[in-house]
Amino acid sequence: MTGADPRAGLAERQAELVAALVAGGPPPPGFAPAPLAATRAALLRKRAGEVARHWPLLAAGLGDRWTTTFAGWAARRPTAGSLRDGWDLARALRGERALPPVAAEELAVREARLRYDGLRAPRPRRLPAVGRAGGAVAVQIAGRVRLLRPAPRTPTLAGDGVPDAAGSALWISD
Amino acid sequence: MRRMTGPSGVGIGWRPEIAGFVADLPGLRFVEVVAEGVSASGPLPPGLARLRERGVTVVPHGVRLSLGGAEPVDPARVAHLAAVAHRVDAPLVSEHIAFVRAGGLEAGHLLPLPRSREAVAAVCANVARAQAELPVPIALEPIAALVDWPDDELDEADFLTEILDRTGALLLLDVANVHANARNRGTDPLALLDRLPLERVAYAHVAGGAEHGRFYHDTHTDPVPAVVLELVEALCARRRPPALLLERDGHYPPAAELRAELDALASTAGFPVVT
Repeated sequence: MTGADPRAGLAERQAELVAALVAGGPPPPGFAPAPLAATRAALLRKRAGEVARHWPLLAAGLGDRWTTTFAGWAARRPTAGSLRDGWDLARALRGERALPPVAAEELAVREARLRYDGLRAPRPRRLPAVGRAGGAVAVQIAGRVRLLRPAPRTPTLAGDGVPDAAGSALWISD
Repeated sequence: MRRMTGPSGVGIGWRPEIAGFVADLPGLRFVEVVAEGVSASGPLPPGLARLRERGVTVVPHGVRLSLGGAEPVDPARVAHLAAVAHRVDAPLVSEHIAFVRAGGLEAGHLLPLPRSREAVAAVCANVARAQAELPVPIALEPIAALVDWPDDELDEADFLTEILDRTGALLLLDVANVHANARNRGTDPLALLDRLPLERVAYAHVAGGAEHGRFYHDTHTDPVPAVVLELVEALCARRRPPALLLERDGHYPPAAELRAELDALASTAGFPVVT
């Protein structure tokens, strides 16, 4: 019962609790630390499972490291929805040259199919586009996506020696 | 349109991943579907549509209304739940005594309310807003929570009874949640069952969980432990609910294991076998 402000309104106190659980906010006054930590960990496990359903090859590519990789990335990032969470993580791993080949192919296909600015919900592309990630190349024409080149299975620094630029500079259109 | 009968017997939470398994359960009379996963206007998922054609009762189960939020419930979310209830010809809908977002952030899960008069007032106001738009009664489900607020004024039984009395809502009693809360708080689950208005139970949830660290987690991805089945038995000895629903949300086991869990529920409660 230390420090709980009885005058703080319910809305404010609920916001403090959510921020502490999903956005790295300080523990709200009076809450026991162990249950808060257990709840935070359980939420991250649940989020990891939901993102894995949207990004099965990202999760499969990381294998045993999936849950800890996701939890480490997501601990202070509130969810933007499972599709965007997985997309943001895949792009971050691409930037670190840490995207497994199957995950790179999954990302390349998504990048070719949908336009995602990192801020709003991804939208279908209306024009032909190419998606690249970790050496994988996918192309989308009239809504149909094909993986033109798989990601190399042997680890290379930058996918077939081609510098793998990140972000919107990859797009030949739209 | 003829409305379906209320939930009865042993049911299972319908999920796309186990649609084939559920479709093959010959005695099934009742499923629950996550309301946010059903389109209000588009076609029903094929597996669900076929269950409806068979006359299987479908109860929409909302998970993101945030009825326990301090802010008024989003009318668009209530409208969606109402539309899904119409869509599947539901006899009732259900939601949680919980909040899932605050201050512009999504928690991604059901979070507990402080057991305070202020929280009772907030949840009752939101339930009343929902009831005004819903075509059918609502059943409210108490959640499993690891965290307790530091300044609870009411115990759990008084908190829940007060909400049910003031809203006139039915109770969706989750037996696994009763176990989880009692286990994690060091309280007696039977003492809670003795004080809840069991005549208000529309149906009961049963789910699996696991011990992680110092806590029992209501995961819905593990088998139903024996201690939860024993609590189902204790509930039925006091007053058998009209229906028991098995919730499974991932790590789906082989069909034989899921059938065995449904059979165990049927035999524990004395309901007809659905497998």
